This record gives sequence, C-alpha cells and structure tokens, in this order.
Amino acid sequence: APVKIRLATLAPKDSSPHKSLQQMGEAWKKSTGDQVQLTLFTDGTMGGEADMVRRMRIGQIQAAMLTAPGLSQIEDSVGGLQLLPMMFRSLDEFDYVFEKLRPGLEKKFRDKGFEILCWGDLGWVRLFSKQPAHRIDDYRKMKVFVWSGDSRSADVMRALRVNPVPAEQTDVLPGLQTGLFDMVPSVPIYALAGQFFGPASHMLEINWVPLVGATIVSKKSWDATPADKRAALQQAAAEAGKQIRNRGRAESDEATAAMVKRGLKVTQPTPDDLADWVRFTDEAYPKIRGKLIPAEMFDEVSKLVKEYRAKAGK
Amino acid sequence: MLVTDTAPPAALPTGLRLWLRQGENLLLCSILVALMVLPLLEAFLRKAFASGIPGATTLVQHCTLLIGMLGGALAARDSRLLAMSALPTILPPKWKVFAALFSGTAATTITLFLTVAGIEFVKTERASGNFLVGTMPIWWVQTVTPIGFALVTWRLLWNASPKWWGRAVVFVASGVLVWFIRDCGTENGELTRAMAFDGTALLLPILTVALLRVEPTDSGARLRILWGSLGLTLLLVALGSHLPTEPTKLVWPAIAALLVATVLGAPIFVTLGGAAMILFWGEDLPIASIPLDHYRLVTNATLPTIPLFTLAGYLLAEGGASKRLVGVFQALFGSFRGGPAIVTALVCTFFTSFTGASGVTILAMGGLLMPVMLAARYSERNALGLLTGSGALGLLFPPSLPLILYAIIAGSKVQAAGVTIEKMFLAGLLPGLLLVALTAWWGVSRGPKDAGDRPKFSGATARATMWEAKWELAVPFVALGALFGGIATPVEAAAVTALYVFITTVFIHRDLKLTTDIPRVLTECGLLVGGVLMILGVALGLTNYLVDAQIPDKAVTWVTGTIHSKWVFLLVLNVLLLLVGCFMDTFSAIVVVVPLLVPLGSAYGIDPLHLGIIFLANMELGLLAPTVGINIFLASYRFKKPVMEVSRAVLPMQGVLIIGVLLITYFPPLTTWLPGWLGR
Ligand code: NA
Ligand code: NA
Repeated sequence: APVKIRLATLAPKDSSPHKSLQQMGEAWKKSTGDQVQLTLFTDGTMGGEADMVRRMRIGQIQAAMLTAPGLSQIEDSVGGLQLLPMMFRSLDEFDYVFEKLRPGLEKKFRDKGFEILCWGDLGWVRLFSKQPAHRIDDYRKMKVFVWSGDSRSADVMRALRVNPVPAEQTDVLPGLQTGLFDMVPSVPIYALAGQFFGPASHMLEINWVPLVGATIVSKKSWDATPADKRAALQQAAAEAGKQIRNRGRAESDEATAAMVKRGLKVTQPTPDDLADWVRFTDEAYPKIRGKLIPAEMFDEVSKLVKEYRAKAGK
Repeated sequence: MLVTDTAPPAALPTGLRLWLRQGENLLLCSILVALMVLPLLEAFLRKAFASGIPGATTLVQHCTLLIGMLGGALAARDSRLLAMSALPTILPPKWKVFAALFSGTAATTITLFLTVAGIEFVKTERASGNFLVGTMPIWWVQTVTPIGFALVTWRLLWNASPKWWGRAVVFVASGVLVWFIRDCGTENGELTRAMAFDGTALLLPILTVALLRVEPTDSGARLRILWGSLGLTLLLVALGSHLPTEPTKLVWPAIAALLVATVLGAPIFVTLGGAAMILFWGEDLPIASIPLDHYRLVTNATLPTIPLFTLAGYLLAEGGASKRLVGVFQALFGSFRGGPAIVTALVCTFFTSFTGASGVTILAMGGLLMPVMLAARYSERNALGLLTGSGALGLLFPPSLPLILYAIIAGSKVQAAGVTIEKMFLAGLLPGLLLVALTAWWGVSRGPKDAGDRPKFSGATARATMWEAKWELAVPFVALGALFGGIATPVEAAAVTALYVFITTVFIHRDLKLTTDIPRVLTECGLLVGGVLMILGVALGLTNYLVDAQIPDKAVTWVTGTIHSKWVFLLVLNVLLLLVGCFMDTFSAIVVVVPLLVPLGSAYGIDPLHLGIIFLANMELGLLAPTVGINIFLASYRFKKPVMEVSRAVLPMQGVLIIGVLLITYFPPLTTWLPGWLGR
C-alpha cells in the first residue's frame, strides 16, 4: 500500500512555503511511482505547533513544518539556538555555524523518533515596541512579551535585566493594545500576519536571533517508504528546504516593507548602539551558559563563530 | 440546548456515598475559587513587584480543564448532561424506558471509547516528557481527562435505569458493542462479531429467566419481558450474521444509530463526540485526537473567561439582583406606554449577556416578569411571546460568552487574525441595541393604549431604586472598564467581575450565605460549565475531522464556484445559519461551523466581525424557531404551556427579529463602524 504522509504547517495556503511543499509532494509522487503520497494541512488548521507535535505522537499526522518552539517540544537543543541574542552578526555566519551543528542535531531528533527532512529559517527576530527605542536601556523600561510555554526565554530576558511578561501567542495583539506589554520580539512575517505592528509601531532592525525551522517526519512513516527511493525523497525535500529558506529570508524584508507602507517606523541601530548591545549581551552570556543551554553547546557555538570570523578575516 | 433540570430530584444518598458526593462538590468549588483568585493574584504581584507567579497562565488554563472534566462528571451524576432532544419527556412511560435503555447503551459505549482514547492520549503525553510548571509533568494533570470520561461512563450506565435489570441490559449491550467494534477491520473481526452477537443471544434466555425471578412483576410485565427478550435475541442473531466488519462500511449505520440515540435523549456531547469518533475510526485514524482537541480547546488561554463570567451571572441571578433591577427599570420605564415590555427586554438582555445561556434567563426571570406583564394588561399570548423572545437578546452584548467563543475560534484562523474579544464586544453593541429596540417597539405596540392604571413617573422612586441597585448597575462598568482600561487581560477582567459580584452579593447585600448558598451556587455553576465544556471539547474533535477530510477547502471551492454575488451568498448564509441554529446549540455551532465559515466569508470579502455578528444573530433566531428552538421548550416548561402555543406566541417576535437580522446582514457599518472607530 502507498505510504500516506500528512503534513501540517502554520504557513498560509498558496504562500511560498506551501508551494515549495506542494512541489516536494509532486516530486515524491513521481520518483516513487505514487508510492509516497503527501497531503498538506495549511493555515494552522491542525492547531499550533505544540498541537502538531501531539498529533504526530498519536499518529493522526506524520509530518510537520515547525519553528523553534515546536521543535523544542521534541528536542531542546534547537531551542538553545534561540536563546543566544546577538550571537550571530549575519545570516552567513549563522549558516556556517549551523551547517557544522546539523549532523549532531539531526541525530538527536532521530533518537527521539523523528527524521529531519529539511531545515529552514524565517530570518531575523526584530524588536517591535510601542515607543521608539534603540538601546537596551530603553527596553529595560518596557514590559516584554515572552511565550508562556517557554520559560527559558523569560530567563534570557531577566539575564539582560529586561522585564518579561509571559503570555500566550494569541494574547500578543490584545496585550499590546491594553498595555500588558510594550515590546514583542518577532520575525517581521509574524508581525505582519498577526497585525501587531499596529500598536507596536516601532521596529529596531537588529539581528537578535534567527528563527530556526525544520520540516520533520515521524521515523515510523519514513521507515515505511521504499528504502531505495529515500535518497530521491531526501533530495526533493532538500530542494524544498532551500527554496523555503531563500524565500523566507526575502519575504522577511518584503514583510517589513509592507508594514512600513502601513505606518511602521524602522530604527536602524548605529555602530555605537550595536556596540552597546554587544556589551550587554556578552555580560549576560555567563547567566545563559550552563544554566539555560548546555555549556558544551554554548562553547561549540562560540568556537564556530570565532572560527568563521577568523576565516572571513573580520 | 435543553437544560435537563426537569429530572426528578433523586433521593440524596447516605453514609459513604453522601461523603463522596459532598467531597466531589467541594473539590469543584475549590477549583472555581482558584480560577477566580489565581489571575488576580498574578496581576497584583506583577504590578506590585514586577514579577508574577511562575507558570500562572498555564495553571489557570489547566484549572479550566479540571472544571470541565469534574463539572461534566457531576452533571452526569445528577443526570443533568445537556441533551438535544426533548422527545423522551413527552413519551409514554413504556417507551420512556426503551428510550433510556437505547440512548444509555449508545452513550455508555461511546464514553467508554472516549475513556480509552483519553488513556491513549495521556500515554503519548507521558512519553513526551514535557512539564507543566517546574518539574511537574504535564501528563499528571491530563490524567483528569480519562478519569472524567470514566466517571461519566459509569454514571451514564448507572442512570440509564433505576432498576438493576435495566443496568444489566445496558451493561451487556454496550459490552457486546465494545467487544465487536474493537475487533472490526482486524483478521478475527468476523469471528468476534459472530461470537459477540450470537453468544449474547444465547445468554439472553438465561438472563430473562433470572429477571423474571428477581423483578417482582405482574403477568403483563412478565409477558413484556418475554417478548422483549425474544425480539432482542432475534435482533442479535441477525446482527451476528449480517453486520459488515470493515469500519468504512459501518460508518453510516453507526451514525444512523447514533442519531436515533440522540433523538431518544442521548446527551449532546455523546452525539458530537460519537460522530467524531465514528468518522475518525472509519478512516483508520487514531481516536486519541478527540481528547487531544478537547485538551486543546479547554486549555485555550482565553477560555477561562467563560466559567468566570458565568459565575458572575449565576451569583447575580441567585442573589437579589434580579428583583432590584426589575425595580429600577420599572421606575424608569414603567410610566411609558408599553413600559413593562421595555423592562422585560432590558432585564432579560442584561442577564443573558452574562451567561450567554438565554434559556437560563427564561427559567430565572420568567416567574418575576410574567406577573409584571399581565398586571399591565398584556394578553397572556403577547406576554409569553415577549418573554420567550427577550431571553435571546443578550447574545450580542458584552460580556456574552458566544461573543468570546467566536473571537477565540475565528481569531485562531489566519483569515480572521485581527478578531479579538474586545473588537467582538464593540461589534455586537449596535446590532444588539437594534434588536432590543425592535423588540421593545413591538412590545410597546402590543401594550394597552390608554394610560389606565399606569404608574406615574416619580424622580424620587427612580433615584431610590437606582441607589438600591447601584452595585448591580455597576457590574458592566467593572467588566468593561477592566477590559478596555488597559489594566487587565480578558481573563483578569472576568476574574475581577466574578470577584466583584461575589463580594457585593455575599458581603454587601448579604443575599447569599457564604457557608450554605455559595457552595451550592458554585457547584451549580461548575456543573453547567462542565457540561458545556465537555460538549465544546468533543465538538472541536468533530471540527478537526472536517479539517482532516479537507471539507473547509472543498466547501470554499464549491461555493465560490456556484455563487458569484456576495449578496446572494449572504442570503444563502442566513438561511443555512437559521437551520443550524434550529438544530445545534449556540456553543457547539460556533466550534463546528465557524471554522467552515471563516474561509468562505473571507473568499467573499466579508469582514470577520460582520460574519460573527450575522452568525450570532441567526443563532438567536434559531433559539426561537417554532417547535424546535430550545427557548420554546424552556418557555413551555417554565410557563406550563404546550409547545405549539408557545411557538404561535413567538411568531410575531420572530418576524421582528428577522427584520433585524436582515438589517444587520445588509448594512455592514452597523457592525463594523464601532470597532473601526474605538477598536485598537
Ligand atoms: Na485573536
Ligand atoms: Na489570532
């Protein structure tokens, strides 16, 4: 019997990730002679990321495209990458580090019963606030949204001496409107989709952390696919991943432009501002290393960052 | 939705069972109190010390899970689970017994499977090793789901019959079904079917002989038992040889049986949960997705507003607030022509806006307002129509629960991402006022024309009654002030409202005694909320099946391909929603139907706020639908009038409301102007 893989995502229907996944499904169908059939559930109709993971565990769906919060429900180490603000200066730098970490991460997921089909990211998390701000001291006067499902993010904010308010993602917009929070760290795509750039109309264009994502499939379904066709399946998935990543990063800029048209004010940090940020985040790292993420992981990431900067001659 | 408090009060148990019962009630009360206090404590600590209770939001969300399961179990204990059909109440006694056994068997079988599904769900959650707060595993709390379903199963079996033989029949019948269904689609399915049905058929004669000896009966009853037994044996033998054993072929017969059980009085949650389960099972998908969706809904971050506002409404209704409010509105409007009609519309609206359950308003306010109307020389028929119709009016006013639930369900869809509770509250205001005004206008036009014995308006009386009711009159300002004042989340605003009403009824007016009345009111509120949450949770399971079968997508493709005009679509929508409103209760209709409608509305460029208000206005109409609307049944029960008579009495109100619904539908600014202006 053909292997049916049902894949859920928060991405909207007809968005570029949806189209890339559709192409992957077509390629799978072709390369296996219709032995692997992919069904897509878009728009978060299968629930939030935690719900998707639950559905994979009970076997209602077999695959999902998730970002860090969902991936952390399965394996914590990916979440670790989201807890290092200002660690990476550019996406190239991040790509270099991530490529080296990748085999280790994939093994960890395999041990938990999930196969990674492809990685991707949604570009940089930026800081959206109600008042204009450009240095950490400005944000220390604010109440900052953190997702209540992720206590470590709140601890990172505390390490930076910023005041976190844990709440649900659905509370972001009303919370900003009623003054429960003043600042929300978010990727531009979410700020546009969730419409919270309305009340939080100032964006600091700072490279806070890249929002990592991945498309995963349960190992049980993966192992049910014809063994001799898996390389081709993996190849099509990698192709989709590359498209999603490139489009994701481009759409991050497009989302910002769209929000600017509708009243968002973008603040560019000056070199002095950046130096100020780096000073304070460096100060906070000892409170993060070994406490919020494993010391080995932190050291590995720092080592790779240095390695990249040495190679790039910066 | 029929509130089945028509069940005769069973004699209270004694000894250990009484202690268990009281303990169960007390536990439910404590969790409700925790739900009220936790968000406020957390808000206070956050403001005073800039650091709240770690994991408070998560804890509050799981309080709702506990209330849902425990309240549902209590509702099952007292035979108070909400049912869709009122048929059993009018059946002759003999048929009543059969209806109870049939629906009891279906209900027991389905809840047993829900229990198993709950266990499966908890098992996978346990394996995932995630934590709720600190080092407390999340699955510890989730075990309440299978425990709750197990309690409900046991109680459905127990309450299916007051006699041991009846319970034995239900036990055996649902045992056979469970045994057979479990093996369907497997290799030994055929064998199991034969053994289950034929084996039981063999057992039946023995059971019958035993019954004839145990049950003290006259010769007529003995004959009935014998005939019944023979019939059942033949039926089982037939099923044993003819029933298919592939799940896909069994889906429609099973759904048909479920519908029969529903008509014969099975609870709503059994119908919705059962339908979801049968459909998932037919597609070979795990039924554990039903408890998963139940968990997803009841732990929604905004959902705790529902038990909290309901608590506020219950405390108001049980205390002396209703009398004081009638006094105020009487003093203000009593001197006008048709004053009592205005009073009725306003008082009913006020109460329904808190509970969202218009039926409760009719039951609670009917006794108070009917005499007022009759004293003002309204005909009995017009008074009946006005009271029954007014019960539904509060649905569009904040903090009505259907408005909140629509914001939660629609707001989670990308096409309606901007829909918030606050915006829905603003959106409902003008359409709500329109319907109240139309109702009052009709009421006034029916009133006696001469001034006759109408009381004169007295400024002093008006001031005195308003002063007397000042605490109640302030309730909407407390609720909305907290919400729109930028100091509280919706859950905190609901908690403040509940606490405020609690303090005013218990400590200021002393309407309710802390030691005796409050536990009773809390238990009653928890029981109602539990019953509703159980329905909503499994309804989301059914919705998820529709999503899984990609029905929303197909619906959009089909409808947009068939209907090209937005205005025609709106007309069709109104007709469809009217039908939905007749046959589904408002809450489950929101959970099941709104996810289908939001993408459709978006395809026609309808504002999701407008769509929501159209939806709820139609639900109001559905509540009053002749002979099927729930409010008709409740009014018939409350005022002891035949259903047909109430239906006729409500017809003019229907006409008035239809005009209102059409105005709301075809004049969108009525809905969208206020949230656009004030909504942030
Ligand atoms: Na929302
Ligand atoms: Na939303």
